[in-house]
Amino acid sequence: MAAWSAACLFIALFTTNPAYKASVLAAALIALVAGAGLRRIRKLLYAIAIVAAFASLLNFVSAHLGDTVLFSLPASIPGLGGPFTLEALVFGLTGGLTIGAAILAAAPFSVLLSAHDVVDALPRVLSRSGAAIAASLNLVPAVGATFVQVSEAQRMRGWRPRGPRSWAEVVVPVVLTSVESSIQLAESMEARGFGSGPRTYVKPASMQRADWLVTATAAAAVALFGISTAAGWAAPWYAYPTLTLPQVDVRPLIACLLLCAPVLVWRARR
Amino acid sequence: MARATLDRLTYRYPGAHAPSLLDVTLRIDGGLTVVAGPSGGGKSTLLRVFNGLVPHFHGGQISGNAEVAGRSILDTPTRILARSVGFVFQDPELQTVYATVDREVAFGLENAAVPGPEIPRRVEEALDEAGAGHLAGRLTSTLSGGERQRVALASALAMKPQLVVLDEPTSQLDPEGAELVLAAARRVVAQGRAVIVSEHRLQALMGAADQLVTVEEGRASTSDPRDWRAPRFSVPPPRSIPAGSEVIRASGAAAGFDGRPVLEHVDVAVRGGEVVALMGPNGGGKTTLLRLLAGLLPARAGSVERLAGRIAYLPQNPAALLHRPTVRAEVRFTIDRSGEREDSALILAELGLLDVAERYPRDLSSGERQRAAVAAVLPGLPRLVLLDEPTRGMDAGARDALVGLIARLRDRGSAIVIATHDAELRAAVADRVLTVAGGKVAAAVDEAVHR
Repeated sequence: MAAWSAACLFIALFTTNPAYKASVLAAALIALVAGAGLRRIRKLLYAIAIVAAFASLLNFVSAHLGDTVLFSLPASIPGLGGPFTLEALVFGLTGGLTIGAAILAAAPFSVLLSAHDVVDALPRVLSRSGAAIAASLNLVPAVGATFVQVSEAQRMRGWRPRGPRSWAEVVVPVVLTSVESSIQLAESMEARGFGSGPRTYVKPASMQRADWLVTATAAAAVALFGISTAAGWAAPWYAYPTLTLPQVDVRPLIACLLLCAPVLVWRARR
Repeated sequence: MARATLDRLTYRYPGAHAPSLLDVTLRIDGGLTVVAGPSGGGKSTLLRVFNGLVPHFHGGQISGNAEVAGRSILDTPTRILARSVGFVFQDPELQTVYATVDREVAFGLENAAVPGPEIPRRVEEALDEAGAGHLAGRLTSTLSGGERQRVALASALAMKPQLVVLDEPTSQLDPEGAELVLAAARRVVAQGRAVIVSEHRLQALMGAADQLVTVEEGRASTSDPRDWRAPRFSVPPPRSIPAGSEVIRASGAAAGFDGRPVLEHVDVAVRGGEVVALMGPNGGGKTTLLRLLAGLLPARAGSVERLAGRIAYLPQNPAALLHRPTVRAEVRFTIDRSGEREDSALILAELGLLDVAERYPRDLSSGERQRAAVAAVLPGLPRLVLLDEPTRGMDAGARDALVGLIARLRDRGSAIVIATHDAELRAAVADRVLTVAGGKVAAAVDEAVHR
């Protein structure tokens, strides 16, 4: 998964050509939908759309470059005055494409894996730190539950939120309880032999055949795109000064399409 | 050969004026040893000696000798003693390291560097031994309190320790969960290993016990469990006034949280001067019903109507609300904010807390903390009293005091609802018992109480 994310990020950030950026975004979207289902990532897609639209708009209103002027505002308006161009709008959109592709490339770590899966995948030398992180992660929901419980209990004792100082009567017991919980967890870990020497693994994190397939296709995608760039097949694209259509070659396009390979594997995770 | 021996052991926590253990001499052979005694007497401290948490984790001053599995406890770190001594703490929520049951049970084995291929078999055996084989593969966050406690026991058993120490392992469990944990402990004893259990509810244990250790004011004494007699709980004085008018009524109410429905079609009414007990399995909805009655959760359907007046609510983990510098200040906090006119000494005396009134509440033992929390929410005369597992960790004396307090509030007209697994408390104070299970509330068939 890490190799696939890295490959997506490499191509999306390396190329200036919006056709290839869009191809990476499409491949990442397809792979993520296959792994998580559209319903689970709907909110993420809304968030990406908003961020991408904001990035486009920001470039449109701030970069007064390009030959195709859509309209102008008086230069006397600070920050906004000047020509508003089609080139700035389209270049902003490609920025949005890059952001969207990058977010989707990293999304499988939070959507398809639990934090504990990520910790388990740490190298062996970090095993002890990983166990400590995993234990800490288990305390996070407990702190939230304590906050609810304490604020409810204090309310029933007559406490009311009146200004920042009054919150001390909720925050102090929550903090004290959280500290006590951490100490109790540390005591429990000590009582179970944590830190007594080298650790073993119940299930050594080993690469499955499917993981090798995803890794190999990701490496192939990076290699093919790199070669395409060096050979001039993956032509760069510039929005300024005059807008032109991006050139598309089948070889870098195939490199982008290779990033769809997780579709074959991640469906099984659902 | 003894599994553990303590010889003239005296221990004082850092900064403490008096020792928590005083000149303790004990010998633990195989079988089941039950540790009993009043709250704050030193039971938990004594248990923590067996795996070296006292003194290695807690610090402090210690003298005398102590050995477990042929090793000196005072010279061996806890993480090494963990290979010979399994320990299960009171609170199952706070001993979970990993997100899945299998990984959780494997944690100790990984620490002990058991070869990886051997670990799954050891995990499976330990889960079966603890009566938790069906939980394999589950997320720990989805487990009930009873299930978590059995996973904690499996985690201890997976190490195949010579000695298993259980610190009030059933204090938060429903009767079924408690029985399963104790059955697992009995199985360990049957395999020739030693188990030490600290408990307040001794009835279920004493039939199987081989040794009884009583810890009081830091001193330990051993006796034959066959000589033990169940304490008689005090019966509250008879009701001095008849139950009055309805203080609260839930009609066709539904409630839940985090988008999850928990209770449906709840019809409950409680009158002033009436005590209603709620029983039912862990996760059945008792706490949700109390929160609904308290107004902390909105009714998703139906309605909840209350008479105006103060509501006193004791949450499931009441120690969490303690934050004032002294126990007395905790009581004053509620009196001042609720407009009551009562001397804090009244409830402190009633719950036997005058001796610790000027102490920091979080420095108290778990049973004393529980009493401090009860005192903190129940001063004055609340119109409606809602108590969630009020006897957790309480010894017999403290429970008697609570029964007296509940009877006094009842006789002064408070409507009282208590969620509790404690059958003796229900028998002592409840006018009616309701079962809360599977999202439904119904009159308890086999536990109707008539006064």
